[in-house]
Amino acid sequence: MTTVTLQNLRKEFDDVVAVNGIDLEINHGEFLVIVGPSGCGKSTTLRLLAGLESTTDGRIEMNGQDVTTVEPKDRNVAMVFQNYALYPHMTGRRNITFGMKSSGDFTDEEIDRRVTEAADTLDIADLLDRKPDAMSGGERQRVALGRAIVRDPDAFLMDEPLSNLDAKLRIQMRAELARLHSTLETTTVYVTHDQTEAMTLGERVVVMNDGQIMQVDEPQVLYDFPANRFVAEFIGDPAMNMIPVEIQDGRAVHETFEIPLPSGTDQLKSNQNGVGDVQVIDGQRAILGIRPEDLHLSDAQTDGQLPTINAEVNVREPLGDSLLLHCSIGSTSCNIQAEPRTQVTAGETVSVTYDPARLHLFDAETGEALYHSESRQSTSEQAPSKLST
Amino acid sequence: MSTREIFDSRIQSGLLLLPTLLVSVVFLYYPTALAVRTSFFDSSFGQGDEFVALENYVTLLTDPGYHSSLLLSILFAAVVVVGVIAVSLYLTFLIHEVDTGQGLYLISVIWPYALPPAVGALVFLFIAHPTLGVLTGPIEAVGVDVNWFNNGPQAFVVVALAAIWKQIGYNVIFMIAAMNNVPNTLTETAELDGVTGLRRLVSVYVPIMTPTLFFLVIINTIYAFFSTFAFVDLLTSGGPSNATNILIFDLYQEGFSFFNFGVASAKSVVLFLLVGVLMFVQFRVTDEYSYYGA
Repeated sequence: MTTVTLQNLRKEFDDVVAVNGIDLEINHGEFLVIVGPSGCGKSTTLRLLAGLESTTDGRIEMNGQDVTTVEPKDRNVAMVFQNYALYPHMTGRRNITFGMKSSGDFTDEEIDRRVTEAADTLDIADLLDRKPDAMSGGERQRVALGRAIVRDPDAFLMDEPLSNLDAKLRIQMRAELARLHSTLETTTVYVTHDQTEAMTLGERVVVMNDGQIMQVDEPQVLYDFPANRFVAEFIGDPAMNMIPVEIQDGRAVHETFEIPLPSGTDQLKSNQNGVGDVQVIDGQRAILGIRPEDLHLSDAQTDGQLPTINAEVNVREPLGDSLLLHCSIGSTSCNIQAEPRTQVTAGETVSVTYDPARLHLFDAETGEALYHSESRQSTSEQAPSKLST
Repeated sequence: MSTREIFDSRIQSGLLLLPTLLVSVVFLYYPTALAVRTSFFDSSFGQGDEFVALENYVTLLTDPGYHSSLLLSILFAAVVVVGVIAVSLYLTFLIHEVDTGQGLYLISVIWPYALPPAVGALVFLFIAHPTLGVLTGPIEAVGVDVNWFNNGPQAFVVVALAAIWKQIGYNVIFMIAAMNNVPNTLTETAELDGVTGLRRLVSVYVPIMTPTLFFLVIINTIYAFFSTFAFVDLLTSGGPSNATNILIFDLYQEGFSFFNFGVASAKSVVLFLLVGVLMFVQFRVTDEYSYYGA
């Protein structure tokens, strides 16, 4: 059983605040991904967990024990680094066994048994006698993983372990990591800047920005119900469109269009679908968030009763499986994911409609989410499996 | 043709090369050639050079004093090279591990290197002088009778210590650069693995630093054979009873105290060949065991 608790964790480097008072609970056996842009404090958080950095303030607990000031070697965690951190002068086997031999806690037979086991799990038996020089990036990372798992640590800490690999290998290793985690069920904290990795690997994802946690949730919940504008724009590729509007009588009013916000004024005001205790007031300025895939070119027959929005196509990007249109709606730029092979040319004005269940409103000043047109409850009723894991 | 044309003409590049070439020829190659030539002559003040073929070398081969000087030099070089590398490595590691005041520690380690050898020797004389030395009192307090003006082995140790002390700074400069080049993540991995202290130095840092260390072994070997003259001259003058009479001092005395230029030249040629062979062996070993890589 390994649970990790961070309480009001803070780390300052001179006058830079890298981690600004975060609270986080990591459950036993969980695969938790911390994602965020460069400099958001995600790696520092991981290094604080490992004990490679000392905390400025706050507390780290592992299994209820305060480990805030405990030496890295006594925390029983294993770390995997972006640059693999293999000892270049040692063979794969020596790299894996070096730490265990140094600690002196293991007999030679025990070490041999564990190396064989790890080599089988990771399929690296033929790499054991090679030096890192003679391994490819993916092989090195597998050996680095082997070094981490032989010690049977309480937690794996992974700092962008796939970032140095090429795209194809990254996808392959991603699947392997997922498989490894389901086999070992060791608590894992995984740091990445790549939101695809975060979404595919994480059982829960922590989105960080400026040293603070923006949201912690399961991947699909993050995507469907972003807690604020930052999460909405960071998760999802292409990013969510942000359109400045004014709220009037339960409608989002833009300079060129007006669309009703489902659930109507009353419910909007009574905040049934709003977030927390946020109130939406008539006349309030807000940001309307719609994902590119929730906008589509209007088809008069099926979308008859929905209002349409006129957009001017600036650039078309055929992506194969879809056609991404960079458009302008009035003075606001916006992306639309259209059906592939749609006949649209740049400069053309198209009529666009939207999925009314997938609208989001954010406060114009604070960026906090004010409203999601679909209620979180109804989603969980429809798809309980998504939320109850 | 080279891919990069830096100079307009061959004459221009030749002119720019000329000063270096002149200095090398006048002060390096010509004296070397002259020394080799002189070693085949009986040469001294006030008499013409007389060709004696290999007689000077035969003299060296049959001179027991020279043999002991040769062995002494090799022992001295070994002590100095091992001492310098070991002490510098340990000091570098300590400085590397320190979080604050690294610069101050570095300067305090490097300063003896900044002294001219003669000044360094004099400073060391006053550190370890049998009666006046700053450290003599404390050393005698632990029961060692500091008496190296008369005690041969002690004199050898003192000269070796002085030579080591002087050369540490040079080594630390290179070593700290090499140690700082070891990727941080390796240090951190070692920390997480509980590989601490000297074990980290020996098993992680040293193998990665081997190219720098081999370079320093070669430089230190040359230093121990050739550049330790001032210490011997000022501290012991080769004594007591030739206990510190290493080759470089021995050949200086042969040439400039006894004015046997022929024999002195033969001695310098032998020293040159000895160091040359050592360099060759060291380079071969370097290629075989040194780790070059990212």
